[in-house]
Amino acid sequence: MPELMLDDPDGTLVMLRDSVAGFAERFPGAKAMREKRGLGGATDPLIWSAMAEAGWIGLLLPEECGGAGLGLREQAVLSEALGRALVSEPIGSASVFAATLIGGATPGAERSRLAAGIVSGDVVAVPAWISGAKPLVVHAVSDNLALSGEARFVDAARVATDFLVVAQDAQGGMLLSVPADLDGMTMSERAGIDGGAIATVSFSDCKVPTDRVLSRANSSEDLLRQAILHTRLALAAELSGLASKALELTIAYTSDRVQFGKPIASFQAIQHRLVDMWIEADLAAAAVGNAVEALQSDDSEAAQLAVLAAKARAGDAAFSICRRAVHLHGAMGYTDECDVGLYLKRAINLNAMLGQPEQLRLEFVERESGVGRGRTYG
Amino acid sequence: MASDWNDIPDEEFRSTFREWVDQNCPAQLRYMRKQRPLFNEVAEWYHALAAKGWLAPTWPRQYGGMGLSAAKHMIYVEEWGRLGCPRIPDHGIGLVGPLLIQHGTEEQKAHYLPRILSGEHVWCQGYSEPNAGSDLASLTTSAVLDGDEFVVNGQKIWTTLAHCANWIFVLVRTERDAKVRQKGITVLLLDLTSPGVRVRPIENLRGEADFCEVFFDQVRVPMKNLVGKVNEGWTVAKSVLGHERIFLGAPTRPEYAIARLQRLADARGAFEDPAFVSRFARLRLDLYDLGSAFERYAKVLRAGGELGADVSALKVFTTELYQRITEEMLAVAGEEARFADDLAAGDVEIDAMNLFLDSRSPAIFGGSNEIQRNILAKAVLQLPG
Ligand SMILES: Cc1cc2nc3c(=O)[nH]c(=O)nc-3n(C[C@H](O)[C@H](O)[C@H](O)COP(=O)(O)OP(=O)(O)OC[C@H]3O[C@@H](n4cnc5c(N)ncnc54)[C@H](O)[C@@H]3O)c2cc1C
Repeated sequence: MPELMLDDPDGTLVMLRDSVAGFAERFPGAKAMREKRGLGGATDPLIWSAMAEAGWIGLLLPEECGGAGLGLREQAVLSEALGRALVSEPIGSASVFAATLIGGATPGAERSRLAAGIVSGDVVAVPAWISGAKPLVVHAVSDNLALSGEARFVDAARVATDFLVVAQDAQGGMLLSVPADLDGMTMSERAGIDGGAIATVSFSDCKVPTDRVLSRANSSEDLLRQAILHTRLALAAELSGLASKALELTIAYTSDRVQFGKPIASFQAIQHRLVDMWIEADLAAAAVGNAVEALQSDDSEAAQLAVLAAKARAGDAAFSICRRAVHLHGAMGYTDECDVGLYLKRAINLNAMLGQPEQLRLEFVERESGVGRGRTYG
Repeated sequence: MASDWNDIPDEEFRSTFREWVDQNCPAQLRYMRKQRPLFNEVAEWYHALAAKGWLAPTWPRQYGGMGLSAAKHMIYVEEWGRLGCPRIPDHGIGLVGPLLIQHGTEEQKAHYLPRILSGEHVWCQGYSEPNAGSDLASLTTSAVLDGDEFVVNGQKIWTTLAHCANWIFVLVRTERDAKVRQKGITVLLLDLTSPGVRVRPIENLRGEADFCEVFFDQVRVPMKNLVGKVNEGWTVAKSVLGHERIFLGAPTRPEYAIARLQRLADARGAFEDPAFVSRFARLRLDLYDLGSAFERYAKVLRAGGELGADVSALKVFTTELYQRITEEMLAVAGEEARFADDLAAGDVEIDAMNLFLDSRSPAIFGGSNEIQRNILAKAVLQLPG
């Protein structure tokens, strides 16, 4: 099945894939996903700490602050493997996004505390930066900062120890880590389609000590852009893995399922569909591989384009492959007991994160050739 | 009450029906989120229809039906949908009634039909099996005659609403070695409260359990529950759906979905985006043209004609249009497509995800779209092979 093809001179990538496979045997993704839903969407701390133990959380953190010093190649391969295994913990937001913000933050005690904690699993630092109805704003009051506003689309909020908030002050965006048990903070959760809860976190004049500031105006915006870039890549890789595995499951099912005296995969109507699905999965893997390479070059504009293309391609591929996978399983595919439905739901969630395909494609052509876009919505 | 509904002009029938339904279908049952409410959830509405004599649109009047022609029946179904009335457990009305009226004995008709109307018997349809889905003729649930009783063993699956039904009409194999597999199949009426029956609900993608597995272990069924002749059940079963096949291709689902899409798009400002408008326009015209196509087949029925195999085209088109519309809803939802629950759009809630997931199933049931395409290829295009 289509898979990222990257040079692997020292075997790190193979090792990563193997370790995910071993992990998935201990914590089968589909089972965990169903259990998480039963628990109202909370991330299982046991699974998260096992992932931290494996060295996957904060993989992108630089070595000088305790990280593995691995790069986006490794992250892409890891995310792809987690996608295949349907491990639905929020690695995109609570690891890739968080590590990019923390890694790029101003060196200091708070940054070190967060970095060390993420790696050990003691800290769950969750990005909370998408403003809701009330914008996130911060201002100084005597020795403290006062934070107000509402952050939407916050993953794993219930197990978070810290929120990584980007709030506006007079100078611009300020990145700060906010303790999750602050007075004046409230949280409301909604069920995500893949079982994980998604929260809106509201701050009402919350006092945050100034030593929690991780970066100030100018650099915060750059950091945010960087975090979005990295996370889109990781999501693309995860989607590509999901797509490839959903296809594999469907090939296995239709090869096994006999109707009219033959495996249904022997019917040409089904063969052609499977081939079309494979072509899309193959393209997705190529797009992600291209983005990984582009991010390693010095051409940051090319990297931006490649990541936009990869997330759009892999999102479309995963969503449409999973839809067809469900259909090709017949009524079985329409049950909760059958795993392809979970792949579909996970694909919907990741595809909708940080930009759906059309939005990404429009951003691509706008960046590349300045072709203006219409209004965006959603 | 009219002596014959079919003598009334269409529009008069429409308004009479519509007015009464609008007044009598309880508000809290309109536009139910559930596609398949349980009997208890809609019993009030079921009994109201029965009391009015409007529960069984197509049954002849002598059996307590309305005796509607295909043309009038289409109006009935249209208005039902337009008013957002809930689907009632309708296997008794829609399938068992016609089955018995065509193939049942007088005794069977006298016994079962009134009990369907009163709601005492709630029916489900036991055709599919784990290894007999699209290839229904490969079914293996067996019935062996022992004295004046059949002994039934085997399993059905995907049986919609079996957990709220007390009767099932089942296709069983009564001859294993038939040369043509379609021979050797028999239709039985089976009391689900009989010893040896076990029902297990199955949760679907939307988190609802509206279909089930039904297991039969040495279940005894009296000979008098046989419909038609032994080993001729295939023909009996196939003949039940006549003009009703048109409803598999009705535009109801996409109509409902596009109205929801429009509300959502309005609330999200999507109509200011020319790319969206262009996609919306395509969906809208697909629906519009589906209406024309539906009307073409409806005309045949109104003229007293019969449907051919070509009506399968409607089923394929409408179910796939329903899917495309709900996919567009998720695109309009943007980041909010991550949520499982409904989306606020002004003062209404739009069940985008619920509809998206629901839209996966009509392409599978009622003869999957691949099977419909096979029918069209062979019976309409007469392609070789
Ligand atoms: C919501 C729902 C409600 C249902 N309710 C009932 C009920 O009340 N009673 C009942 O008896 N059954 C019911 N069914 C079952 C339904 O009739 C079957 O799902 C249907 O016949 C398909 O069978 P299958 O699920 O076994 O799929 P399969 O036959 O295994 O098909 C799997 C896939 O292969 C494709 N395929 C199969 N054969 C071919 C071919 N020759 N060429 C190309 N493609 C092919 C199919 O289109 C499908 O995509 C229900 C199903 C659903 C989803």
